[in-house]
Amino acid sequence: MTEVIGRIRQATNVPKRLVAISAILLLILCIFPFVAGDFQTNLMAKLLLFGILAVSLDLVWGFTGILSFAHGVFFTLGGYAMAYYLKLNLSASANTYGVALPDFMVWNGLKELPWFIAPLQIFPIAAIAMVALPAGFAYIIGWFIFRSKVSGVYITIITLAISSALTTFFVSQQAFTGGTNGITDVSKLSFFGIVVPQLGLYYIILGFTTLVLAGSWWLTQSNFGLILRSVKENEQRISYLGYDVASFKIFVWTLSAGIAGIAGGLFVPLNRFISPVYLAVAFGTQIVIWVAVGGRGTLFGPVIAAILLGQLQNSVDRITQDWQLIVGIILLTVVLFLPNGLMSLLPKKFRFTEINRMPIPRGSTTAGFVRVSLLDWYSPLVRLIQSVRGKR
Amino acid sequence: MIVHTLASIVYLAQSSPSEGFSAIAFTNQLLNGLGIVGILLLTGLGLAITFGVMRIINLAHGEFIMLGAYTTFVLQSVFKMDLLLTIPFSFLFTALIGAIVERTIIRRLYGRPLETLLATWGLSIVIQGVVKLIFTAQLKYVRAPSYIRGNWTLFQAGDQVVQISIYRLFIIFMALLLLALTGYLLYRTALGREVRAVTQNRDMAKCLGVNTNLVDMATFAYGCGLAGIAGTVISSLKSVAPPMGQDYLVDAWMTVVTGGVDKLIGVLAGAFLIGQSNAAIAYFLNDPTARVIVLAAVIVLIRYRPEGLFTIQKRS
Repeated sequence: MTEVIGRIRQATNVPKRLVAISAILLLILCIFPFVAGDFQTNLMAKLLLFGILAVSLDLVWGFTGILSFAHGVFFTLGGYAMAYYLKLNLSASANTYGVALPDFMVWNGLKELPWFIAPLQIFPIAAIAMVALPAGFAYIIGWFIFRSKVSGVYITIITLAISSALTTFFVSQQAFTGGTNGITDVSKLSFFGIVVPQLGLYYIILGFTTLVLAGSWWLTQSNFGLILRSVKENEQRISYLGYDVASFKIFVWTLSAGIAGIAGGLFVPLNRFISPVYLAVAFGTQIVIWVAVGGRGTLFGPVIAAILLGQLQNSVDRITQDWQLIVGIILLTVVLFLPNGLMSLLPKKFRFTEINRMPIPRGSTTAGFVRVSLLDWYSPLVRLIQSVRGKR
Repeated sequence: MIVHTLASIVYLAQSSPSEGFSAIAFTNQLLNGLGIVGILLLTGLGLAITFGVMRIINLAHGEFIMLGAYTTFVLQSVFKMDLLLTIPFSFLFTALIGAIVERTIIRRLYGRPLETLLATWGLSIVIQGVVKLIFTAQLKYVRAPSYIRGNWTLFQAGDQVVQISIYRLFIIFMALLLLALTGYLLYRTALGREVRAVTQNRDMAKCLGVNTNLVDMATFAYGCGLAGIAGTVISSLKSVAPPMGQDYLVDAWMTVVTGGVDKLIGVLAGAFLIGQSNAAIAYFLNDPTARVIVLAAVIVLIRYRPEGLFTIQKRS
């Protein structure tokens, strides 16, 4: 199935340095709640989720070259799915009006639960919807825009329009979405009768962050990731080599929307509300800023940028109200003077996401150095298993 | 999502106050739509210059509109100036800022559209922040002069009135005037010829002695100046506040993309299509739904004709 002519060092050779640094960071984050207070723990959990969101955008922008302002939309769709579940699971007495119907529906004169919201009372359905709703939406959009001649800038404008349209839509559908206020006062996260404490939520988020980072790293180091990078570099050439560029784009676009959706779903029990603020263009660009500042195509950069900017905002907010101005200046500075983001300040041996290409042997055709089918993205896994079993 | 959409459309259709179709009300709505067309045209025109001619994705366009509105506010509150008299000043001021921005930021990023997009977004945040520092986030109000206030009644029969606000007429008049002026500058003057030459073939234009740096700066400054005029004209419609530009940004982009930027007339067509379909749909459903439907239609349009409706298909 795979035929590698030039030799590409594969993800099976996990660099020891990366593992060591990640392990130390993970350890620090594990003991973080016991050192810092509740407020800091909550903040850190929130920033980790924003970091995941930034990674999901990095997959499509940093690696594939599709700049999207719509990732806030995917995040919020996942968030709403979870928010309905948490809201509907409030006991009737905990609700303002003592009825099972959520308060915003009572205000807007709904008598019973709409049929398309009702299934979200059940946890497995809500959990699936949290991923399926944004991923499905993204798949439809992706199928619609990537299978056409639309390119670069126009895709970005389309994502702007999507974000703007959905914000208007969610604000106008007060009875179903809670309008501008969104869904507030949700219950704590609980499933199958177990209530998850705040600390538990922190560890769930930390675990998910680790999973997403490791998964994305593995994906982008695989042959599949190599194709994505080549799509970014020269889409036309890669399609001349026989790859169906659109299906690669749609796959990574849907995947990243799914990740963003889960991040949104975990965000709601932490934040205790979700509102169209997260749908709006402003939040969408916030994500773009994290990725741009951290460094496109670096995976770890966006997470670091999200955490740093979030902590900075937290400390600056107490002194001045002009946080946005500072963000603008940071963004301008990075775009003009540091186009590859903060991660490019690190020495080269600490930039782990670049592919170390070994010299291509003479006589081989450089044009088609890797031939992979879309199905092949699991072949690194096969190789990993083989290497563990010592059969390389 | 689709289920949501369908459900809400059905819901809206049932709940919307439908006393039947009224020709008078519908005509009024279309005349209101004319006002929207004017605003779209005004805000889109500057973009048509910066994007159409220079291929710059200017996300700070809304902030130039805001700067124009603030110029009017300052001149009006300090010198008690008439709104119409402030128009040249806001044009000059925003054009000056535009020229500085082109010199310091845009110039470094030519040929990298996505980077320009990021930089102008950063710029828009900075401009908003600075204006907020100077004027605070408080809403400011600008008064329209008395001779362009009030309504103009076109038709009256009993209590049924067809009328259009004079200010809306003024907006569309200004928009058309600026469109004509821009068309004249671009197609009938030496500078316009140089601008078009740079657009078509930058290197060749340079070889023939066109000062491309100057042309770039002048074009960008002119586009920003147009945004400033739009800001002045819009300022008395709603309140003036630092984030006001954001409201116009997406719509201005949709206008420009719908019409296509090859010909200036595309902007007029785009503004007319979006404005009037918005007004017509809003009559039958409601405003937010109309906006959602129109935006969705524009997305579909971009998918099939990214170069816009009114561009002759080129073979590349």
